[in-house]
Amino acid sequence: MAALHQGWAIQTRVIQALIIRELTTRFGRENIGFLWVMAEPLLFAVLVGLLWRFEKGPQEHGVSIIAFVATGYLPLVMFRSTVLRAMGSFAANSSLMYHRQVKILDLILVRFFVEMIGHMMAYLFIGTVLYALDEFPWPHDLGYLLLGWSYYALFTLTLATIVAPLSEMSEVLEKVMPVTTYLMVPFSGAFFMADWLAPNIKAAVLWSPPVHAMEMMRYGVFGDAVYPHFSLTYTPAWCLPVLMVGLMLCRHVRRVMVVE
Amino acid sequence: MIRCSGLVKSYPAGHGRKLVLGGVDLTIGRGQKLGVLGRNGAGKTTLIKMIGGVEMPTAGRIERKMTVSWPLGFGGGFQGSLTGYDNARFIARIYGRDYREIQDFLEDFTELGRQLAMPVKTYSSGMRARLAFALSLAIEFDCYLIDEVIMVGDQNFQRKCHEEIFVKRRDRALILASHSVETIRQYCDMALLIDRGSASVKGDIEEAIALYSNL
Repeated sequence: MAALHQGWAIQTRVIQALIIRELTTRFGRENIGFLWVMAEPLLFAVLVGLLWRFEKGPQEHGVSIIAFVATGYLPLVMFRSTVLRAMGSFAANSSLMYHRQVKILDLILVRFFVEMIGHMMAYLFIGTVLYALDEFPWPHDLGYLLLGWSYYALFTLTLATIVAPLSEMSEVLEKVMPVTTYLMVPFSGAFFMADWLAPNIKAAVLWSPPVHAMEMMRYGVFGDAVYPHFSLTYTPAWCLPVLMVGLMLCRHVRRVMVVE
Repeated sequence: MIRCSGLVKSYPAGHGRKLVLGGVDLTIGRGQKLGVLGRNGAGKTTLIKMIGGVEMPTAGRIERKMTVSWPLGFGGGFQGSLTGYDNARFIARIYGRDYREIQDFLEDFTELGRQLAMPVKTYSSGMRARLAFALSLAIEFDCYLIDEVIMVGDQNFQRKCHEEIFVKRRDRALILASHSVETIRQYCDMALLIDRGSASVKGDIEEAIALYSNL
C-alpha cells in the first residue's frame, strides 16, 4: 500500500513536470503563452460556425447553428490533434527515457491532458461568449454534458494509446493517419444529430463510440430541443478492451525501444 | 546493491539479430567502483543504458536496491530546445527536489554563466557534460553511471569531477566505462571486460587491463 501511494506521488509529480515542459516547449513564455492552447481550436470553431451561419441561416432543426457547430467541432479537433500529436511522440521524446520515473505512458497522457484542457477551456470560453450574445442556451443537464465529454476524451485517449506505439512500428501509419482522421469526420457525430439521418445511416453511425458521446453532450446542452440517441455503456465497453490492447502495444514498444 | 542476472541484449539487424551482450552477471554493492572495458561497439554503453533503465534487456533481470543516476554521457537526458535552467527545473521536479537548492551548485559547478539561459542544443559536448554532472551531483545518487564523458572535459572540469565524485562522494558506487586504462586503474576496484558478447568481472584490475590490451 505504501509503495502504491509512493508510486502515485511520483507519477503525479512527473506528469506535472512534463505538462510544464510541454507547455514551455510548445508555446514559450512570450505573450499569452499557454493560452495559445485554446486559441487554435477557438479560431477553428468560430470560423466554421460563421461559415455555416451564412450558408444555412441562424438555426438548424430548431437550435442555434453557431452553438451547434461549436459544440460539435471542439471535441472533434481535440480528438484530431491528440491523435496526430500521439504519432511519433515516443521517438521525439525518447531522451526522457533517461529518467526511470518517466514511463512511456506518461508521454501519451501529457499530450492528451494538454489537448483536453485546452479544448475544454475553449469550449467554456465560446459557450460563455455565445451565451452573452444569446446564441447559446444555459446547459440543460451538466451531468450529461460532462459525462459526454469524458466519454469523448476516453475515446480520444484510447486511440492515442493505439496510434502512438503503432507509429513506431510502421511508417505507413504516419502517411495515412491525417487522411483517416479526416474520413472519420462523419463518424464523429460533430455535424448532425443521429435523429436527423435516414434509419440505415443512423444505425451505421451509432456503431461509432464518439457519436454516442456527442449525442450525450448535445442533450446536456440543448435538452429537449434535440432528440438524442445514445447508450450509456457502449462507449466505455468499446474503449476499455481497445485501451488494453494499446497498453500492451506500448509495453512492447518500450521493451524494444532504442534510445540514442 | 545492483544485481544483474543473465542480461542479454540483441538488436534487429537486417533479417536477423545482432547479439551485443550474451548473458552478463554482475553485482555491485554500496561504494564499489566498477570499470567497464571493451573496444568500440563492444556493448559498454548498452550495458550502462540497461543498468540505468534507459533501454530494456532482451532477457534477464536487473534489481536495483539503491538509487542509480541516469547515464552521464555525451547526449541524452536533456531537451535541446529548452535552456539549461529549464532543463534543471524539469529534472529537479521529476526527482522531487527544490530547484532553488540546486541552482547555486549548478551555477558554481558548471561555470557556464549566461550560457545557462540558452537552449541546450547550442552547447558543446563538454558543456553538456558539465550540466549533466552538476545536476546528477546536486540530486545525489547512491550509484553514478558514467559513460566515458569524464574525459571530454578540460583540466578544470576534470579536477572538479575528481573532487566531487572521488573525494567528497567516496562512499558512492560507480560504474565507469572508459578507454582510458589510467582512469580505470586510478579509480576502480574491479573491472568488467566485454568482448564479443561475453563479459566477465575481474577482481584484479591489472589482469583485466592486460587482457584488454591484448584485444
